[in-house]
Amino acid sequence: MKALIIDDSRAMRSILRRIVSGLGFETLEAANGQEAIDLLESGVVPELCLVDWNMPVMDGYTFITQVRANQAWRNITLMMVTTESEQGQIVKALAAGAHEYVIKPFTPDAIVEKLEILGLVGKGIPA
Amino acid sequence: MSAIAPETTDVQAVTEQVWSSFLGDEEPLIPVFDAPPAFAAGECWSSAVSISGGWTGTVTVEVSALLATQLTRLMLGFDPTEPVADEDIADAVGELVNMVGGNIKSLMPGPSTLTLPIVAAGRAAFSSDSREVARLDARWTSEPVRVSVHVPAP
Repeated sequence: MKALIIDDSRAMRSILRRIVSGLGFETLEAANGQEAIDLLESGVVPELCLVDWNMPVMDGYTFITQVRANQAWRNITLMMVTTESEQGQIVKALAAGAHEYVIKPFTPDAIVEKLEILGLVGKGIPA
Repeated sequence: MSAIAPETTDVQAVTEQVWSSFLGDEEPLIPVFDAPPAFAAGECWSSAVSISGGWTGTVTVEVSALLATQLTRLMLGFDPTEPVADEDIADAVGELVNMVGGNIKSLMPGPSTLTLPIVAAGRAAFSSDSREVARLDARWTSEPVRVSVHVPAP
């Protein structure tokens, strides 16, 4: 399975890459929503996108609305991973089509737990 | 308006959570209350995010250059002796203030927006029309850390 990590911070992409690659995902990276859309339009369709909210060029919320507007990408699981923790922001992201929402800072276990809930990782068993 | 402000204990709790999540628990962040750590001139990195909306303020993180290098290696998964580029340090220090600032924002009245981080080598400079409302001085691996919150002066 492929996971696309979308975050403008290389350090954060590195942290997330180590977590999900340890679970068996092949990882791809994008520094903003537009780079991620470009990847999807090039034919790369991951099973999972980990999406930051605040990014230059295109933010994570806009990315999610664009993904959800395209039927070809309807099977992509979208998980927000962001410092945005106001209730209104969480509701907005989930209403736009995000499946899960993780607030930074997080522990690796928090990411694994969410992926288990989404059925992308077996409980206690790396994919 | 920013009549409400975070307490230093809030800043400490948020900073400790960020530090332990991404830099590990082996080296705890140790608050310093009596003698604030000194930053050698030109030997530190500063980063800031601004919050505006229901609450307005600026959150700043300053760390020594050595600490900035150490935390960048940890966050990027580098070996302890691997060279670190300034670009990588700016990225890592920026992500730290993003997380600290984002979580302080969640403690304040909203809705508010958070800017992208601004990062610079050197000490932070604060606007003369702002005032400090909370500050955490701490050490991590014996190196100085300062997290401060400023709001517009009345």
